[in-house]
Amino acid sequence: MSNILIKAENISKCYRLGSLSSSTFKEDIKEWWRKKSFSGNDAQDDLPVTYKNQLWALKHIDFEVERGEVLGFMGRNGAGKSTLLKIISRITLPTTGRIRGKGRCASLLEVGTGFHGELTGRENIYLNGHILGMRKKEIENKFDEIVDFSGVEKFIDTPVKRYSSGMYVRLAFAVAAHLDPEILIIDEVLAVGDAAFQRKCIGKIKEVSSQKGKTILFVSHNMQALRNLCQRAIVLKQGEIINIGNPETVIASYLKSEETQYLLQEFQDKDSAPGNQDIRIKKVQLSPQYLDGSDIIDTRTALTINFEFWYDVEEESDLIVSLRLFNYNDDCIFDLPSEKYQFKKGLIHGECAIPGNLLNDGAYYISIAFIKDITQQIFYFESCLSFDVEDYRENSGWYGKWAGLIRPELRVRLSEE
Amino acid sequence: MDNKPEWEWEIKPNERWFKLNLAELIQYKDLLLRFVRRDIISAYQQTILGRIWICLQPLSTTFIYFIIFRKIVKVPTDGISPILFYMTGSIIWSYFSDCLLSTMNTFIHNSAIFSKVYFPRLIVPLGNIVFHTFRLSIQLIVFFLIYIFYTIVYHEGNPSLLILLIPFLILLTACFALGAGLIISVLTARYRDLDYILQFFLRLFMFVTPVVYPMSIVPEKYKFLFWLNPLTSVLETLRASLFAPHNIPINYLLLTILNVFIILFVGLVFFRKREVTIMDVI
Repeated sequence: MSNILIKAENISKCYRLGSLSSSTFKEDIKEWWRKKSFSGNDAQDDLPVTYKNQLWALKHIDFEVERGEVLGFMGRNGAGKSTLLKIISRITLPTTGRIRGKGRCASLLEVGTGFHGELTGRENIYLNGHILGMRKKEIENKFDEIVDFSGVEKFIDTPVKRYSSGMYVRLAFAVAAHLDPEILIIDEVLAVGDAAFQRKCIGKIKEVSSQKGKTILFVSHNMQALRNLCQRAIVLKQGEIINIGNPETVIASYLKSEETQYLLQEFQDKDSAPGNQDIRIKKVQLSPQYLDGSDIIDTRTALTINFEFWYDVEEESDLIVSLRLFNYNDDCIFDLPSEKYQFKKGLIHGECAIPGNLLNDGAYYISIAFIKDITQQIFYFESCLSFDVEDYRENSGWYGKWAGLIRPELRVRLSEE
Repeated sequence: MDNKPEWEWEIKPNERWFKLNLAELIQYKDLLLRFVRRDIISAYQQTILGRIWICLQPLSTTFIYFIIFRKIVKVPTDGISPILFYMTGSIIWSYFSDCLLSTMNTFIHNSAIFSKVYFPRLIVPLGNIVFHTFRLSIQLIVFFLIYIFYTIVYHEGNPSLLILLIPFLILLTACFALGAGLIISVLTARYRDLDYILQFFLRLFMFVTPVVYPMSIVPEKYKFLFWLNPLTSVLETLRASLFAPHNIPINYLLLTILNVFIILFVGLVFFRKREVTIMDVI
């Protein structure tokens, strides 16, 4: 008995771009005519000619998923990750190839699909459960659990249109969380909801994946989550698999290839520069003081942030510029407000030095907030710089992930009494 | 490669030939019933009269037909009591048009669900048909109460065993609406223009269907064209079974069965072939 749960062979998917118009009808006819005259003549290997307005979202995708495996998908937006998951969850068909599999597939983010405002919570649990593919017996067995998890027992016989949005989402999530499919599909890219809700999703993934025999297909931009959860990772680029294997190595090469570093942004033309009538950004720059002639930022490297902006506020007011450093889990590592200044209109320059031996290894980004009169945010330049800090260890016999948001060089001293 | 694993499902580009996959539909029957339940519960929410509307709709239409076509235009009704005549017409017509409209809007009204979850799309139109059939049966009960009253008091009705044909006539109407609706649903999802054209044609279609007039006033040379319309034989058979059992248009009824079968078959094939890919263009 083979242990392969999903087998995808030569999956390709073609989309038609552009809006629907009178030319669509013409193209439909052409397409139909082309198919008629060339049918049965398609070479296995070559995808049909790409017409204008057509896009191959996936090309020749092959992979297998074993029972109990957590498989991660990464790639930039538009690399085809979501399309692939859509095909696996049977929302759309591939243009070529086939996928065969065993067991029920469900996606965690189909939260609230088919909820009807006029129906009570109870009715909606049944309706939503059936839409997601549960049997009547299953829902009946899990009903109390679902209600418990959602925490809306009091309102279970109230139409859901009277629910607060929080209650609504909780109830919807409770149903999805109790689906218990053999294959769970999680597209974090499509995740909606606030940070707390997304954390709940991640929590649920961890919980599910810790049970034995759960197969999970997981799309995420969160490298840490991929590293922690997946046994194997696939990198997609422009619809093709460019790397597959151990998440550690795959992620490392992915980060290198994707040039996630963004160390300088400069704008010459004031009118097209990011900003608004009060603030226009001229330049933001991160200058590392590289060590040993390398060009890699590691945990020892000191960094300097320089920025210039045009200040255009007429009236006399206080300006505070605040630098914020985030990691890619969106945790704020620090928030550094400047002192209060009163400037005339003109070009302003700012600088901040981050010492070496402060940040832990990982990916970071910087946002800059411009605040008027202490409380009023006039502009927020979000994720304007981003950089990766590589790990550096001297003579350490241990290579696991160094825990902690920061890694300051503080000594722990021991002595014998 | 010796022991081939037994795959439970397979996803492929469009199949060459048509598979209705009844087993899968039966597997999803709970979902169908849920959809029907949802529609029944939500249909008349926040109305004072609630489900009484189900009966008021045909009654009010009948009343309007009676005023316009009986009192003002003076269309004959083949000696059938006008109220009963118009009522049969309006009940069957509204059943047909409700089924057709809801089926043809399957993709447009359900794109939010269809873009997220897989289940056989046919469940949705089938659920709609069941829901409208539920409404129809309530309307028919009201109709029969009135019919019995007229038969006893005015001796207007001439009931026969042919009344047993009625469920079959309803089935024919449903299959016709379903088949036509499925074809249209695939086309309108792609070309929305059709939606507007069809609303116009549906209104026109009512007037070439003997809803407010009997077949006997249609000129001889057009009669055959009228009989090609499945609703013609449904309505004529229904009225014959209630009022004039010897007038059953048996040949045309057979023709209609054939027509409906063809339309339903084409509709199912077309729908099944496109039900998944259609989501790419919506």
